[in-house]
Amino acid sequence: MNEKPASLWQRLFGDSVRAFGVISVVFLLSIAIAPAKNFFSEWRHYQRGYLKTIRNRSDANTLQRHFAGGIQQVWLPELGVVDRCTSCHVGLKEAGLSDVPTQPYRTHPPIPHKLDQFGCTTCHRGQGAATTVAESHRSTLAWEQPILPAKYIESSCGQCHRGQLAGTPQLNQGRALLARQGCLHCHTVKLPDGSTLKATDDPPSLSHIADKTSREWIFAWLKDPQAYASTSTMPNFKLSDDDARDISAFLIANSSPLPGDTVNVPAKASADPAAGASLYGESFCASCHAVQNAAGNIVGGDVGPELTRVGTKVKPEWLQAWLRNPRAYNPATGMPHYRFNDGQVAMLAGFLQGKADSDFLSNVHLDTATPEQVAHGKRLVSDYGCASCHEIAGIRKPENFAPELSRIGSKPVTQLIFLSGMQHTLPDYIAGKIKNPRAFSPGLKMPQYTFTPQQIDALTTALLSLNERSYTLPSSLAVPGRVETDYQPAGKAGKLMTDLACFSCHRINGHGSDMAPDLTWEGSSVQRDWLVQFFKNPGTLRPALIRRMPRFNLTDGEVNELADYIMTVYQSPKVDRDSMPLGGYSQGQIELGRQLFYGKYSCQGCHIVDTKTDKGYIGPTLTHVGSRLTAAWIYEWMRNPQSLRPGTVEPNRAMNDEDARALTAFLISQKGGEKSSRSSKAANSNSHAREVAKR
Amino acid sequence: MAKTVDQYFDDLQQTRLWRSIFRSGPGSSTLKRALVIQQNVFLHLFSTKVRTRVLSFSATWYLGTLTLGTFLILVATGIPLMLYYHPSAPQAYADTKDLQFVVSSGMFLRNLHRWSAHAMVFLVFAHMFKVFYRGAYRPPREFNWVIGVILLLITLLLSYTGYLLPWDQLAYWAITVGSNIASAVPVIGDKIHFLLLGGHTVNANALLRFYVLHCMILPLTAMFFVAIHFWRIRKDGGLYNHDSEPATVRARNAGSAVKETN
Repeated sequence: MNEKPASLWQRLFGDSVRAFGVISVVFLLSIAIAPAKNFFSEWRHYQRGYLKTIRNRSDANTLQRHFAGGIQQVWLPELGVVDRCTSCHVGLKEAGLSDVPTQPYRTHPPIPHKLDQFGCTTCHRGQGAATTVAESHRSTLAWEQPILPAKYIESSCGQCHRGQLAGTPQLNQGRALLARQGCLHCHTVKLPDGSTLKATDDPPSLSHIADKTSREWIFAWLKDPQAYASTSTMPNFKLSDDDARDISAFLIANSSPLPGDTVNVPAKASADPAAGASLYGESFCASCHAVQNAAGNIVGGDVGPELTRVGTKVKPEWLQAWLRNPRAYNPATGMPHYRFNDGQVAMLAGFLQGKADSDFLSNVHLDTATPEQVAHGKRLVSDYGCASCHEIAGIRKPENFAPELSRIGSKPVTQLIFLSGMQHTLPDYIAGKIKNPRAFSPGLKMPQYTFTPQQIDALTTALLSLNERSYTLPSSLAVPGRVETDYQPAGKAGKLMTDLACFSCHRINGHGSDMAPDLTWEGSSVQRDWLVQFFKNPGTLRPALIRRMPRFNLTDGEVNELADYIMTVYQSPKVDRDSMPLGGYSQGQIELGRQLFYGKYSCQGCHIVDTKTDKGYIGPTLTHVGSRLTAAWIYEWMRNPQSLRPGTVEPNRAMNDEDARALTAFLISQKGGEKSSRSSKAANSNSHAREVAKR
Repeated sequence: MAKTVDQYFDDLQQTRLWRSIFRSGPGSSTLKRALVIQQNVFLHLFSTKVRTRVLSFSATWYLGTLTLGTFLILVATGIPLMLYYHPSAPQAYADTKDLQFVVSSGMFLRNLHRWSAHAMVFLVFAHMFKVFYRGAYRPPREFNWVIGVILLLITLLLSYTGYLLPWDQLAYWAITVGSNIASAVPVIGDKIHFLLLGGHTVNANALLRFYVLHCMILPLTAMFFVAIHFWRIRKDGGLYNHDSEPATVRARNAGSAVKETN
């Protein structure tokens, strides 16, 4: 017995006291794992690392004083934010740590918001409550939303800011693309304030398409819209030859002639091409329409369609009718009704007809359509939702044709089907879907767009901003965008303004475009005489600009109608234009104004009054301002320019009344270098015209 | 000569404090030992005398005791968990996250509670199988078997009500499905469903209801029936032992009587 050594089992569990002791020790050790894990937690590791990082710095004392150990959190109950990110990212608020190469100890880049007001996850997503890297940054079983990749970070600005922001070019671009590229015709996007995003493009009606173009062109266009015009917003539906043939057959068969929208082409249609080109330039067609030049660059505006190959597309008789009066074909068009005479129409039509590409239709040979083809084409047109964008006689606009995207930015990853080899994140899914929609399933109807990678990122950013958080944020945080009203001017002048498509460029009472100045208070700001002259010859104001008011060839009656309406209706409540005279200021006051202009306020830095000496090009030239603006407007503008035109770059100089009056007197005396006798005449005729209007 | 542990214990039992609390003094006579059991409010539920044979592992595999052990762990971990938990709709999930991320050893508490709950369900079933296959449910223990079935149901209900409390997607849908099953009961199914959830869907009312059930009503009910269960073990003749059961004894006696007559 004695020589046989006790086995290990015997030694540990030989009797009940030993067994109890051993089991107790094992139990104690296993219990000790919990506090040990607590002690060796990640955030403690990173805080130790931080202290080591700052130890040898010159600002160590300050940083040490700011440092608070333990779990840190930003708690904002009304935002639903409990963010413990600052437990590891210790140096976010330390401006001195911007030289640290990477997170977690680097300073946060400068932003217009305070960390303590919005927390971290409001913008960056991720799991704020977590205190480990894996749980807070990545998508886990119990938390789907990972950190948002930095290149989409602007999307978070869009959660509150519904309008444009100077600091978020990518988000602005994405939103503009969303509205311009036709996305919103199929996909509904509702905003938290209850409004719906509106498309800004204007897809043409196809109900009278046979008047405008040929079946061959429709076929070629359907096959590849970008081959006709690289800037076209029409996407490629990847149609087979047969499908494109049948759709073109249906559209032609379905088209009805519109009375009065075509004219017989006069025999002498071929006008001087050079004259046509100069008329194209004089009419500022390029403000809205682009043309691809010889170098392959797109030159011109993107309001109307690109005209590089327009001669291949439109029928000559339609083009002439369109140039004569576009509203006869499409009453809602954004194209103004230029009052061209027959010669001008023929000249411009000839010039545009010359912009043709004979290769575009060279391979298209279509036989006469059979009724079966037309019927099949009709079915395809409804299947592909063509009527979501285009008005097509006999086909109703489908509702909810594509999934609603109001909360696409927080769609759960578990509800997505990814392509193989794709990262399983929401941004990657959205970007992939925009890039190549049909790759997800050949049966999908979403067409192929031709976006650049940068545009895809912008669109993804805009879509990510449409998320659940934008709905749950307190409504007081929402910064509304500019509200688009449906203002329409009334009466005869209103009709005239619609005919001239003023709103395609100008904005009035919250309706219209930004290309040209806002005219809401034009009646308070300008003198009637100047306005009349301007309508007759718009080239006088800011002649250096490329995009400018075209000459519409208005009759005197039309000019008076418009001028009366603008002078009567578009008045600011802040400016009574009759409160100050347009002349008769004392020479002393004018001289005082001149001294203030060149001395105290140094206006010549941005403006020109004397073309020989002044060099300011930022603001408008003021050599003729005295015959353009009203004195009351100038005075009010001196006092507070932002109150008249919010966002103008003109600084508010907080002028006293005396200075403002002197400057007004000086500026109103700037009537283009002519004698003051003319100014009094203008003032007389102005008051005379008002009397006439009153009668 | 150094005193042994037993001698120290004897000295302790002789102190006035000990005797005032436990009402029993030193000594190891049969009476004394019986009094220790009988005069203690907790122990008096149990038999004053047990055969060593039925205390061996093979007799019961200790399944009933282990079940009690997990129940005690659940009570011991459940009470600290209650300190960190609000049964309110937006807060419940956040509290679960706080337990995971910021409460010291909170994860350990939660996991211990969870795994013990799983173990308890398993052990209750194992205990019942053992009882069933050994025939220990037979008279005079048939009533205790019924108590056991009630305890099984309470265990399952505790498990089910606890499942909702983290207030995550898993919990939400599990309870949605579970309560819909209840509404399949003929005639009164919808009433049961409404009663269970305090509404027609799983919402804040259901959470509060499940919390009260899980932390108050069900544990107290369980303790009540556990007490009866243990007391009935004594009243029904101690732990089951096949060899000393009256029926076995009678059969054995009858067998030997037959032998003798031959």
